[in-house]
Amino acid sequence: MEKISVIIDGKTLEAARDRCVLDVARENGIYIPSLCYNPEVKSSGGSCRVCLVEAHQRGRMRMVTACNYPIREGLEIKTDTPLVHRIRRGVLELLISRVPDSEAVRDMAAKEGLTETRFRKDEGENNRYKCIACALCTNVCAEVVGVHAIAMENRGADKQPATPYHKPSDVCIGCGACAYACPTGAITMKEKDGVRRIWQKDFKMVACSVCGTPYIPEAQVDWIVKKTGKDRSFFDKCPDHR
Amino acid sequence: MGIIASAEELERYREKLAAEAKPDLPTVLVCFGTGCQANGSRPVAEAFAGIIREQGLELDVNIGIKTTGCHGYCENGPLVALKPQGILYLKVKPEDVAEIVEETVKGGRVVERLAYQDKATSETIAQYSEIPFYKHQHRIALRNIGAIDPTDIDDYILAGGYAGLAKALGMEPDDIITEIERSGLRGRGGGGFPAGTKWRSCVAVKSDTRYVMCNGDEGDPGAFMDRSIMEGDPHSVIEGMIIGAFAVGAHQGYIYVRDEYPLAVKNLGSAIEAARSRGLLGDNILGSGFSFDIKISRGGGAFVCGESSALMRSVEGNVGEPRAKYIRSVERGLYDRPTVLNNVETWANVPEIMVKGADWYAALGTEKSKGTKVFSLVGKVNNTGLVEVPMGISIRELVEKIGGGIQGGKKFKAVQTGGPSGGCIPERLSDLPVDFDSLTEAGSMMGSGGIIVMDEETCMVDVARYFINFLVDESCGKCTPCRDGLPRMLDVLTAITEGRGREEDVALLEELCDLLTWGALCGLGTSAANPVLSTIRYFRDEYDAHIKEKRCPAGVCKALITYSIDAEACTGCMLCSKECPQGCITGERKKAHVIDAERCIRCGVCKDVCRYDAVRIS
Repeated sequence: MEKISVIIDGKTLEAARDRCVLDVARENGIYIPSLCYNPEVKSSGGSCRVCLVEAHQRGRMRMVTACNYPIREGLEIKTDTPLVHRIRRGVLELLISRVPDSEAVRDMAAKEGLTETRFRKDEGENNRYKCIACALCTNVCAEVVGVHAIAMENRGADKQPATPYHKPSDVCIGCGACAYACPTGAITMKEKDGVRRIWQKDFKMVACSVCGTPYIPEAQVDWIVKKTGKDRSFFDKCPDHR
Repeated sequence: MGIIASAEELERYREKLAAEAKPDLPTVLVCFGTGCQANGSRPVAEAFAGIIREQGLELDVNIGIKTTGCHGYCENGPLVALKPQGILYLKVKPEDVAEIVEETVKGGRVVERLAYQDKATSETIAQYSEIPFYKHQHRIALRNIGAIDPTDIDDYILAGGYAGLAKALGMEPDDIITEIERSGLRGRGGGGFPAGTKWRSCVAVKSDTRYVMCNGDEGDPGAFMDRSIMEGDPHSVIEGMIIGAFAVGAHQGYIYVRDEYPLAVKNLGSAIEAARSRGLLGDNILGSGFSFDIKISRGGGAFVCGESSALMRSVEGNVGEPRAKYIRSVERGLYDRPTVLNNVETWANVPEIMVKGADWYAALGTEKSKGTKVFSLVGKVNNTGLVEVPMGISIRELVEKIGGGIQGGKKFKAVQTGGPSGGCIPERLSDLPVDFDSLTEAGSMMGSGGIIVMDEETCMVDVARYFINFLVDESCGKCTPCRDGLPRMLDVLTAITEGRGREEDVALLEELCDLLTWGALCGLGTSAANPVLSTIRYFRDEYDAHIKEKRCPAGVCKALITYSIDAEACTGCMLCSKECPQGCITGERKKAHVIDAERCIRCGVCKDVCRYDAVRIS
């Protein structure tokens, strides 16, 4: 990859062309908050807007999301200006209004000195159950897992991830990648007596032949075997005892 | 006629059509645009056909009946134009048809009661071209609409159609782009991006495949210019796209039309078929060796799909959501290939520019906004409908000259331009020229060309609330500022219109506007603040009246007004008491009536029906 130099908060840094600003900033110890972005998921990002920063280029300034803005020649990024903090606070205040119960949002807001919202909260019948509709879960499901068990439904404030028609999905393998990836812990996944429940569906877990811990849904083993041709017996033992 | 194999053959075919055409043949043109069809133009056309059959009219007069696209003057439909007299009749009913045939077609006389009556001068104007609504127009994109039958490709060819394509195919692609650049044509869909620059950027990107697309997802409330073009002159769009495709080297095109436009879908579909059958679309177009075809993609009715990146995702079969445009669609658009997307009106201009040249086009309009623009002029003006005027015409000229002034002689207050994310411009700025840059500077935008005229009885806070409400419903929900910010903005606006506004609310609204403008993902979100910002900028006093005095100066916001009857003016005709849905108006015949304010729901029916202007709002 071609290396070019870019200025972030006054520091001149070397980075590969087209990498995103957020990754480069983080590798250099510069804090930019983010929720909807995961470096391992190409289709993620651009939605929550907490990573908005100032991009100065060719004599022009605009606000861009650090998570998907490509590093280019002559780019200067500012992450610590009054405008950046003002917009970040604004976004976080709206997120508190949307998901007042989310610790992740509250913690991030606290870093900006923000503890409450002046706006109506989505509570009662509008409770969003911590979901900020960022679509990281559906992006993981489609792009990383490759099963498309969930997708975003509705539009506007009612946008949310769901299985088709809110019925247990035929294709879900119960892998829980969506729940692990969720930045606000909005997806419930419970396990009891060797059965995992997620997206209104129960999945029988395979127990480790050594320690006896149920550790992977059978459906996920089926999926991996089908996709990779790996021998099924490989999954007899959990990663700790292989 | 089958395949037309060359440009020369096209010209010969056009000459043959011209020789067969009889310009003096009496022709009755019945508008078959959506508006006129809804007003009953089909039975009118059938009545004409019936009379022609009954009277065996070919003996003395030959009448060709053509069904045409929208004339733009929909409010007065069904419209019937008569050639060669050049007469336009308004609001024609089937029972008028016999009289029109007898008087005008056979006798050459005007049926006065069906002709246009000027509201200001009470003058009867029968000549199409003399009616003020049409007189001040300059039609390029709408050049054929109302004059040709959109379902007959020969009609389009006879009117000069596909000559622009024939000329373009004989040029170097690069020269075509230069011509479009020199013409100054800017995108008519809203952004006003120079079309030639867009095409050139697309060509500059290395790729084995490129696409051209047409955005027909017109979704602004009250806007229907693109529908009119797709319905009334579909070949102009198709021809423009073929020229664009040849210029950038695309072999596949897509027209994205909203499915709520069934007639547009139908007419475009049949026009594509007809163009293919003539060798104007498909393989080896006009024998040039260039191949290009067009598919229609029907939208499902999401406003956001008019946004370029969302539109492309929708055509691909994905959820119609915008994406960050840090990499432009001319580089990576549809299926990640370089793509030129222009809107319907932009494409419709292209053939005419090819025929008449860049200089001709660039001579029209203003320094930075060339050519003409189609507007849908609606709201409280006397003449509403579609108008095409040179860029740079003033708002006042549009409203007064073409629109015929405000209805009922009321005071002109403001215009709202640019669709739901446009802004309101007050009467005092109405000498402002209508072009891309002036409107943006004034806090509004050109958008796709909707112009809503408002009179003194329009509450500007209520207008802002109306548009934000629309945008709340249409937000795709992908980004936080738009998804969660707009509903909060609506909360604040609703509180103000309901008399619950607080002193700090205007500042709070401005804060949310700032957040949207800087922080939203797509153009819809970043411009969604315009209705609020522009009304605060120009009508701050109305916000203050609502908040501080709990008063709606325009008498619109129901929570802040009461209806009463002026005992002096009331004649006791009893009409209001009969019409009141609440039955809360009492009074004896010929004596002043009284409204029970407790039970009144402020629907305004009494005020609407009162013939003596006795109902007061306070």
